[in-house]
Amino acid sequence: MSKQLGFLHNSEKCVGCRGCEMACKNEYQIDAAPQWRKVFQLHEEDFSLPTRMFFSMACNHCAHPECLRVCPVEAYTKRDDGIVVHDPNRCIGCRLCTMACPYDRPQINSAKKKVEKCNLCYQRIDNGEQPACVAACIPGALELVEINDILDQKTGVLKTLPGLPSPKLTTPSIRFIGPKQGKQIRRD
Amino acid sequence: MGDWEWPLILFTVLGQIAIGIIVMLWWLDRDRDHLDTQLFKQGVYVSGGLLILALLASLFHLGHPEVAYRALAHLGSSWLSREILLFLLTFLAWINLFWLSRRQTSSHPIGADAATITTAEIAAEGQQSGNRSLGLGITSVLGLLGIASSAMIYVLPRVPAWNNVGPVLFFLLTTGLLGALVTLVLGRKLLHPTQKKLLLQCSLGCTIASLLFYVIYASMLSASMEGATSLNFLLSSPLFWARALLGWFAPLLLLVSMLKNSQVAKTNLILTLTLFSVLGEVLGRALFYLSATGIQITALF
Ligand code: SF4
Ligand code: SF4
Repeated sequence: MSKQLGFLHNSEKCVGCRGCEMACKNEYQIDAAPQWRKVFQLHEEDFSLPTRMFFSMACNHCAHPECLRVCPVEAYTKRDDGIVVHDPNRCIGCRLCTMACPYDRPQINSAKKKVEKCNLCYQRIDNGEQPACVAACIPGALELVEINDILDQKTGVLKTLPGLPSPKLTTPSIRFIGPKQGKQIRRD
Repeated sequence: MGDWEWPLILFTVLGQIAIGIIVMLWWLDRDRDHLDTQLFKQGVYVSGGLLILALLASLFHLGHPEVAYRALAHLGSSWLSREILLFLLTFLAWINLFWLSRRQTSSHPIGADAATITTAEIAAEGQQSGNRSLGLGITSVLGLLGIASSAMIYVLPRVPAWNNVGPVLFFLLTTGLLGALVTLVLGRKLLHPTQKKLLLQCSLGCTIASLLFYVIYASMLSASMEGATSLNFLLSSPLFWARALLGWFAPLLLLVSMLKNSQVAKTNLILTLTLFSVLGEVLGRALFYLSATGIQITALF
């Protein structure tokens, strides 16, 4: 593997509009139930900020993908750029990957009886375009990045957020910029 | 929380009974000529029937059973691929047993006149029982490896309740327990009292081990948040208490009293005991799937 592509999500910029979710659905005409990308809201008590904070998550194209390890039909492959691609044509719908992924990102399409997930718009990337979710994010909260030490050494870049499974499980290729400690306006 | 996975419950429990029967026949056959030919045949037929049912049941778990053969594609890292391969090999080994059982001539009745048995007959019988023992041994080893692979599928870092030695241990104990009891039912008129006693002792050992390991396993679960959720679910579920009653306490009472009072030959007791244990194990397996809680995103959505 020559590099590892992934996402950088900035909770400070994210307004929770779910535009990334919609762009993903629109790009692939996904049925109603499976949500390849989903916007989550952090629990207030987790971040001790009296404010609403969001993060957006799809498949994290993990460095050690559990989905790929357990799948009996080799429906998952990891490309040279680190993207974990799922091939629905190979899937037999055993649902083992849905049990193994701590982020619940491979999801069963009950009409097709097969699993689906985000493939990081690899066909768009191969054409030099941005993934649909990244291109649609108006405040620029979601970015496509290369996951490497240079990124990890930058101030404010976090490997996880409260409420997320430990990154030790699968080494996900996502980084976060957490909400900053804002000014609290007190009226007393 | 998991789902009520009927296909997986049937596949695992029936498959484990099928392989358990073969293991018990192999065990009884360790001193040549001690395994009744009729029991060998019955055991092979019943285990084959159960194995076929188990494999058919497993197909209902798949979204696309028509391409189930693809599941053999990822032997390098997928325990599901390895399980399917080992179960198919077990089935091939069973076909050999079936073929041997068709060729097996009945053993000489106890007390047959030794003078009427020729040397050639003795040699042929020795060859037959050697092949039988080898066939049972190979099928048992492949089957046990298949069961261990089934269990390894569930050893997932994401599910703390499964990410330990528990699944392998419990699947193998079910194999020993139900294998011994179903063999006892099949051989209730054919087994010697000492053989019946051995099978009852094996069932008792498996039931005690299952109960003890479960207590240790349950105490380990509270170490993680998800494990504690599984444990709370189990303890508050009436199914769990039904499982405990049918699968542990009632069989323990019956087994101890049968062994103590030398009532090893009582058919009604054997049938009741087997029924309780099968129901207990089916409920236990259902709870295994129902209580699984995975590490997940706990943020709001
Ligand atoms: S997030 Fe889940 S589906 Fe995506 S690569 Fe990681 S383990 Fe696989
Ligand atoms: S559901 Fe499909 S992709 Fe997932 S493990 Fe099974 S065969 Fe592989």
